[in-house]
Amino acid sequence: MAAQPHGLIATFETAPEVYHAAEKVRDAGYKFWDCITPFPIHGLDKAMGVKRSNVPKFSLTGGIIGFCTGMSMIWFMNAFDYPLVVGGKPYFSPMFAFPVSYELTILFCAFATIGGMFFLNRLPMHYHPVLKHDTIHRGMDDQFFIVIETRDPKFDAARTRALLEKAGGKDIKELEA
Amino acid sequence: MSNSAKNAPGSFPASSPGANRALAVGIVGIVATAGGLLLPNNTHAVAHSWLVGVTFWVAITIGMLLMTMIHHIFDASWSTVIRRQWEHGLAAFPWLAVLFLPLVLATWFGPRDLIWPWMNPEHVLHGHGTVANDILYVKKSSFLSINMFMGATAIFFTVWIWLSARLRKASFTQDSDGDLKWTRMNRVTAAFGIPLAALSLTFAAIYWIKSLEYHWFSTMYGVWFFANCVRGALAISVLIMLWLYVRGDYKGILNTNHLHSIGQLMLAFTVFWAYVTFSQYFLIWNANVPEETFWYNLREINADGSPNQWKYVGIFVLVFGHFLVPFLYLLSYKHKIVHSKIKFIAIWMPCVIFFDLCYNILPALKNEHGDALPLVSVNFIWTITAVIGVGGIWLYAYLKSLPTAKLIPIRDPRINESLLHHE
Repeated sequence: MAAQPHGLIATFETAPEVYHAAEKVRDAGYKFWDCITPFPIHGLDKAMGVKRSNVPKFSLTGGIIGFCTGMSMIWFMNAFDYPLVVGGKPYFSPMFAFPVSYELTILFCAFATIGGMFFLNRLPMHYHPVLKHDTIHRGMDDQFFIVIETRDPKFDAARTRALLEKAGGKDIKELEA
Repeated sequence: MSNSAKNAPGSFPASSPGANRALAVGIVGIVATAGGLLLPNNTHAVAHSWLVGVTFWVAITIGMLLMTMIHHIFDASWSTVIRRQWEHGLAAFPWLAVLFLPLVLATWFGPRDLIWPWMNPEHVLHGHGTVANDILYVKKSSFLSINMFMGATAIFFTVWIWLSARLRKASFTQDSDGDLKWTRMNRVTAAFGIPLAALSLTFAAIYWIKSLEYHWFSTMYGVWFFANCVRGALAISVLIMLWLYVRGDYKGILNTNHLHSIGQLMLAFTVFWAYVTFSQYFLIWNANVPEETFWYNLREINADGSPNQWKYVGIFVLVFGHFLVPFLYLLSYKHKIVHSKIKFIAIWMPCVIFFDLCYNILPALKNEHGDALPLVSVNFIWTITAVIGVGGIWLYAYLKSLPTAKLIPIRDPRINESLLHHE
């Protein structure tokens, strides 16, 4: 049995065309699909029905971990492992642990944000089936594409092709996996 | 006449019947505060309350002045639709100058140490002589003189009123002629106005608030006041925009991205306020020098070592209310864009700023042992009436200015970008 193709790719000539086509694909209920555009198109997220990013959840988690690390590190070092009186202050006080905790909050938050972003967008990605499309390089220049993947539960070779045609897609091709 | 034509962005907004009601509330508040003077030995408490009321609204108006100038200096686009409401808020400065006048007149003609003890050389300090014998006053006396104070206060209000007049005139005139020179004029005003406003608000905070305890010093004080100014201005402008939205004027103008952007600024200044206020506390705590720590001791314990009310104001209202609650709340995207949610925090913030000013001003009122008088007492009534009274006048000034210009700066070169503000 031949390997299942990756999906269907359709070409669009202008930003409004791909924008309205995206709305149609969204309304048809597809989940595994994407738009390829040479530049960011404002409002395309909404037209595609993309929800807000989950990166902030990583940031928040990183920040909380950073804060707790700072507090517990200072407590461990100054009050537990090697109790030391500095400047007549208590062994541990959140006051002097605060600048450290605050810096670590920012540091861990930044790491978690960058890491979470790469985790969620799965970059760097060295190979992607759309790269096999003949004119994909024009997606970095003057053309727009919509790719609907076969793993989408709604995918049906004939009906998906019809949808893309109806949405104004040209040159609809099957992509090798 | 169709409703949509009436609310078109190029038209003048309808005047609000609320203006006269605001004026009435203002007068009632002022009269009620003045009524406090009828109680025996209550002059100090009423005067300090009045200082809280006036500085609260001065802070918000300075915040609007700064936001307007920051908008111009960065050639910002998204805030163009919001800027007009700041410009209307600036109309309150002359009123605030008038409302500050009682404090000036009372200290000039009446008891010199009514509020600021150093104004009277005969003022008896708790436990050590008079102000005139106090070396810490003598060394500072060229700065802390009543003439300097009065002159500086006059200069502050002159600078604020003058900058406001320039910004308002250029912006309002551009509505009719669309000339780009007004945009340029505003940018020039902002370029020299930001340092002027920064210096004047810093010295105002030092003279009006910090000098209540003239022994004490903190280099963070002006920055602390600045953080409150901007937060207050942002919160009040959110409330104004939501009100205009409900009234119908801002329908089709205000979008979620404006609220998102302004919410981000509110979050940023929440962190900034916390950073500054914590730094001030932390440096004093760490150095542990009595001539600095007494300021916090006064706000934590009585002379006999028992905790006083200000300790709990500091912990619960300032640490949690002023920082932690708004910080965690504003982290969420939804809380910044859903009207009812951002409205909650935009009401919350001015309330905690009010308590922050109380925390900085009211403990200057002391009993015979030198302990700070508690927050919750009869005196608190005058503080509330003062804030409401001055607030009524502020709102009156805003509402009177509102119908005098178009709803948004319709011929500003950035207005389209602002109307289409996106992420």
